[in-house]
Amino acid sequence: MLNLVVCLKQVPMVTELPWDAKTGTLRRDLAAGMMNPACKHALEAALQIKEKFSAHITVITMGPPAAEEVLREALALGADRAILICDKLLAGADTYATSLVLTAAIKKECPKFDLILCGAYTADSETAQVGPQLAEELDLPAAAYVEKLEIHGRTLRVRRMVDNFRETLEMEFPALVTVSMENYRPRYTELMGLENAFGGDGVIVLGAAALGINASLFKNKGSRTKVRKVFLRKTQKENVILQGTASAVVTEFLNKYQRKISTAIGKSIEGKLNDEE
Amino acid sequence: MQFNPCMKHKLIRNSVRHFAETELAPIAAEIDRDATFPLDVIEKMKTLNYFGLQVPKEFGGAAMDSISAAIVMEEISRVCAAVGLCVTVHNGVAVYPFIRFATPEQKKHYLPKLASGEIIGAFSLTEANAGSDAGSVETTAVKKNQEYILNGTKIFVTNGGVCDLALIFALTNTDQTRLQSSVFIVESGFPGFLRGELEDLCGMRANPVSSLFLEDCRVPEKNLLGKLGDGMKIGMTTLDNGRIGVAAQALGIAQGAFEAAVKYAKERQQFKKPIASLQTIQNYIADMATGIAAARLLLYHACSLKDEGAPFGCEAAMAKLYCSQVASKVTSLAVQIHGGYGYSKEYDVERYFRDAKVTEIYEGTSEIQRLVIARSVLSQWTF
Repeated sequence: MLNLVVCLKQVPMVTELPWDAKTGTLRRDLAAGMMNPACKHALEAALQIKEKFSAHITVITMGPPAAEEVLREALALGADRAILICDKLLAGADTYATSLVLTAAIKKECPKFDLILCGAYTADSETAQVGPQLAEELDLPAAAYVEKLEIHGRTLRVRRMVDNFRETLEMEFPALVTVSMENYRPRYTELMGLENAFGGDGVIVLGAAALGINASLFKNKGSRTKVRKVFLRKTQKENVILQGTASAVVTEFLNKYQRKISTAIGKSIEGKLNDEE
Repeated sequence: MQFNPCMKHKLIRNSVRHFAETELAPIAAEIDRDATFPLDVIEKMKTLNYFGLQVPKEFGGAAMDSISAAIVMEEISRVCAAVGLCVTVHNGVAVYPFIRFATPEQKKHYLPKLASGEIIGAFSLTEANAGSDAGSVETTAVKKNQEYILNGTKIFVTNGGVCDLALIFALTNTDQTRLQSSVFIVESGFPGFLRGELEDLCGMRANPVSSLFLEDCRVPEKNLLGKLGDGMKIGMTTLDNGRIGVAAQALGIAQGAFEAAVKYAKERQQFKKPIASLQTIQNYIADMATGIAAARLLLYHACSLKDEGAPFGCEAAMAKLYCSQVASKVTSLAVQIHGGYGYSKEYDVERYFRDAKVTEIYEGTSEIQRLVIARSVLSQWTF
């Protein structure tokens, strides 16, 4: 039986995020939550492993009481056990502090894990740090941005995209991967699963004390990073109407924007433009 | 008293919305235009338990509470009312009578297949001369040996073109002084079961609504649902439940049209500003939002009464009456806010506008809902 742990995060559903201007953190209370998309792909990867092998899936999240929702969703999708780490002491934790808490929870609740799966990054802060930090704390072999997993005995073979090439790596269990959104398209939730997810044993809730965590570490000063400023990038659309014959319009368009196009596609189009002329 | 949705209901809404927006939104306009039933999406819905919303777990259903089931029908209809109709009718009036009235043998045989969607159900009461006047059914069922022989024509049968099973209301006593109707479980494979052409309707065009013909249709005696002569009772009890489904459907249509109208009002520029900044448009939006919020509370109240095991017929009729009126009003205003574009098939509100109207007509017209409500109110007050 493989013991899988999937770390999940609840992120705000809205695209216009309500920020608290004073603290520079997200007003999570104002936004409807959802399971972070990459975490959902990580869960899907775990579910596909469970379909092939005998496996038990524990899902863990750290967050406010409302974060229980993503755990219930994970149970509905096929996870076996759910743990919510919820404590006001942990509010405002940065990625480093979060990885310490998750480490403590995994050591306490799932000491015999074979594989930890995390989403490669979150839709709200996109740091992509918690997974690798967790591997460091637990002293595990790890691969980030994984798009494919294969298990051969106690060996895990992963494929991932790095810059412009794909590489295949192998490591022994126990290990950690962060899963990208390239593959493992999340399945739809069965209605019966949703109904069952709210019956049964429910969600295990752990506070900081239960994890033996030193409270002073997690007051804001304990987190090693601090958000200094959050701002929305102002963008302005420019409407330009080009008129004339087709060839004149195309030429004018390319002359006007060739530098921007070159930047966007990562190579110069100047030569091509001249060739065609 | 709890007015806010619980975590389960929020999660169900999000999950169904995600499914509907991914699978149905891209095809909703096309299947409406071509009047095609989206079989491949329906197949996916079968595996996700959309056809066994309230069927007990022992028969393979999702065993949802009534608010959860209403949310499912609402969210499907918010994107595609015609598919919402298929789900609503199957669960609300084809499966529900099995749960309420079927024998243990009938439940064991049919409920797992209905819950998995292996068989899609229909409910056939309406005839050319029997609509609001449900007692005027002319289809007959005559007992011969161990079978009933059914003859008659049913019209406007939702899911008629694809159903594998229909509940047929037929007279089992034609004596004018003692007219008596009963309900029969008729499989589409029974000899003498024939389907008519699909109806060419104003809205709900992707649902295969058709007539059904029963020509010496032979139905085994064991396929009588409930007791002989229980037709009216089964019909009325089933329609009480079906009205919750239609109310949910109407609410979903209203919600879909409302969201489209708000989005458009914020985008559409006239007089050098978004029309949402004009007070006239704001008044429309305020009325739409208020109507939808009130309709939703009325609907969920009927659902909660049903789950408590309390009488809910009057509240279901109120919910159906009000939600369908809100749907018609909101979709009409949504077209108005879109102006000329709203009258074009280029925008979804035109479809919502057509789909909404029938919610005031089927499963009891608004006039019949008022009759049900008034009877209930007058019988409760004994001044």
